[in-house]
Amino acid sequence: MKYGDKIIKMQGVVVEISDGAVAMDLKGRLGYLKVPMRMLITDYEIKIGQEVEFNMSFPEITSNEVNEKYVSNIMRNKRGGK
Amino acid sequence: MSISVESAKEHAKDPAVVCCRFEAGTIIEPSNLEDPAIFPDLEDSKLLEITSDTLTIGEVLGAKLIKTTEALTPLTADMLEGITVVEEKSVPKTEEVKTEAPVQTMAAPVITTTAGGVIKIQIEEGRGINLEIPMMAAPVQTQTVAPVVAREEVKTVEVAQVAAEVKPAKELRRLTKKHFKIEEVVFGAETKIEGTTLTLREDIAKEAIGSQDLVVDLTVDIITPDKYDTYSETIMDVQPIATKEGEDKLGTGATRVLDGIIVMVTGTDENGVQIGEFGSSEGILSENIMWDRPGAPDKGDIFIKTQVIIKEGTNMERPGPLAAHAATDFITQEIRNALKKLDESLVVETEELVQFRRPGKKKVVVIKEIMGQGAMHDNIILPTEPSGIMGGRPNVDLGNLPIMLSPLEVLDGGVHALTCIGPASKECSRHYYREPLVIEAMLDPEVDFCGVIFVGSPQVNAEKYYVSERLGMTVEALDVDGAIVTTEGFGNNHIDFASHIEQIGSRGISVVGMSFCAVQGALVVGNKYMTHMVDNNKSEEGIENEILSCNTLCKEDALRALGMVKSAMTGEDVKAPERAWNANVKESNLEAVEGHNGEGIVRVPNETIIPMSDKRIEKLKTK
Repeated sequence: MKYGDKIIKMQGVVVEISDGAVAMDLKGRLGYLKVPMRMLITDYEIKIGQEVEFNMSFPEITSNEVNEKYVSNIMRNKRGGK
Repeated sequence: MSISVESAKEHAKDPAVVCCRFEAGTIIEPSNLEDPAIFPDLEDSKLLEITSDTLTIGEVLGAKLIKTTEALTPLTADMLEGITVVEEKSVPKTEEVKTEAPVQTMAAPVITTTAGGVIKIQIEEGRGINLEIPMMAAPVQTQTVAPVVAREEVKTVEVAQVAAEVKPAKELRRLTKKHFKIEEVVFGAETKIEGTTLTLREDIAKEAIGSQDLVVDLTVDIITPDKYDTYSETIMDVQPIATKEGEDKLGTGATRVLDGIIVMVTGTDENGVQIGEFGSSEGILSENIMWDRPGAPDKGDIFIKTQVIIKEGTNMERPGPLAAHAATDFITQEIRNALKKLDESLVVETEELVQFRRPGKKKVVVIKEIMGQGAMHDNIILPTEPSGIMGGRPNVDLGNLPIMLSPLEVLDGGVHALTCIGPASKECSRHYYREPLVIEAMLDPEVDFCGVIFVGSPQVNAEKYYVSERLGMTVEALDVDGAIVTTEGFGNNHIDFASHIEQIGSRGISVVGMSFCAVQGALVVGNKYMTHMVDNNKSEEGIENEILSCNTLCKEDALRALGMVKSAMTGEDVKAPERAWNANVKESNLEAVEGHNGEGIVRVPNETIIPMSDKRIEKLKTK
């Protein structure tokens, strides 16, 4: 990574909760993030509308190449798993 | 930032650096010295350069400064008088084990403009500038790593053994595993086993679908080695096919098990979304499996692979993954029933597992932290059949509280894992059936292995501490000398993992932690009891590499952990961890264990042995 040490603070809002996952909108229309429950740290029972904070750097494309394995999986998912 | 008297004692052998400007004549006290925990950051940012003639904290305390020194000056002999001469102790032979990157606690940073924990200020020209450097939140540094068996330790153990009264090992119970071989699987009119051929009822899938409300479709594929190169949905679980004889309870009596065959659970919801998974790890089977790991298929195994489709949108809700497992277990149970009827003459191997207690030896308990956040983060504890579902209780429903299992209950499939992320670190049901730490602890004649505690990892921190405190009390009441705590994968489970180690360590019990950490799974919290750590990583880059079971606990890790807990119980010194993950530390510890045990340890391979398609090879060349 060329810019991996450029850490910025992100804020978000919990918008979806399921037994295994939690999803959040990033404030400022900066995107959406869904993570497994175990990747979320909380002192409180999780509720929709709670705010979250975390640090992140910018995702960087690592090379010009595509990985065919993932391309085929994505195409398959778009076809509804067929 | 100065240090406390206590901290000065702990860091007596670390370099002495003054924290602020001090005038000549100052008598050096802890309050004059900078915290050694932040030296690496200061060195990285070129604010500090420690040379070989820098004195240690132990040497400078009480000495008088004869020169006025600026902040962050390393103290050397020419600046002081009255230096304390510290006797050099012989260097411990323990190998330093570095497993994870140093960790910060969640203490909120005082300054938000830090980069890598250090403020970097560059001034080309200026006057009258008054800076106080460094400004940092007090990073609570954990020693996230550990060392291992040293020769000194070996001697101690031998002496202790001679001195102690030799008491015979006491047999508690035994479990017989009768192995039957399967070489062919076909579909037919009824489920039966004849010789080494398993016939699976053709319409079994239909009934399996009917057994679960949430399951809308299910297909059964028989994957023989020539079909390893076919596509599969994400692998949810790998399970042995085993059954109890007669009325025998799990962990005792006789178990019948089929060799050469496993059950594999895969599935999606109606929209094609993988069950309980994030990101794509579905794909060609042979590219996604680390063969021969305890929890993975062995190369050559035939898979009975179910592809379960559950109701739309239930893939992340608790009943969804469970329904996929239960529908698959419907099929497994029918095979188990056929296995019960097999003639004894077809047994190819009989394995006798004996649980001993070894009075007079150091008493050790193994604690396995399992996921309990909900949905696929759950496990069924103590089903009636090995790795089954019926009769068992989900650890989430049991409040994730600590539960004691005998080692034989574990090795008899006492845990059915619903297993979540990530593929490389999750412990599948077959992992528990072949759990290497439990096996090696049972076989180790130098320890009195008393049992395996399973403790769930709940979601909310308050619940985590609730279960962790109960674990502490349980371990205290057991009067053990040592404990090994393992966890599966990384995430918020590392919070209770650290707390478990603290609960045990604060009671004066030697404790070793085992986890996948390396680069990607670095611990998020730490405490002063986390000094003995074993990293389960096997991947080249220290990451979750999406290869099933690659970074799970293997025999080599079990032997290191046992070596380490024995070292800890006999008071061996442990060196501090390196700053960043270094795979060589593991290798040197393995060599130390080999030296102690007098036999070689086979290193398991990693993803580099997995065949790559021509396209992937081509792509890697271009990187």
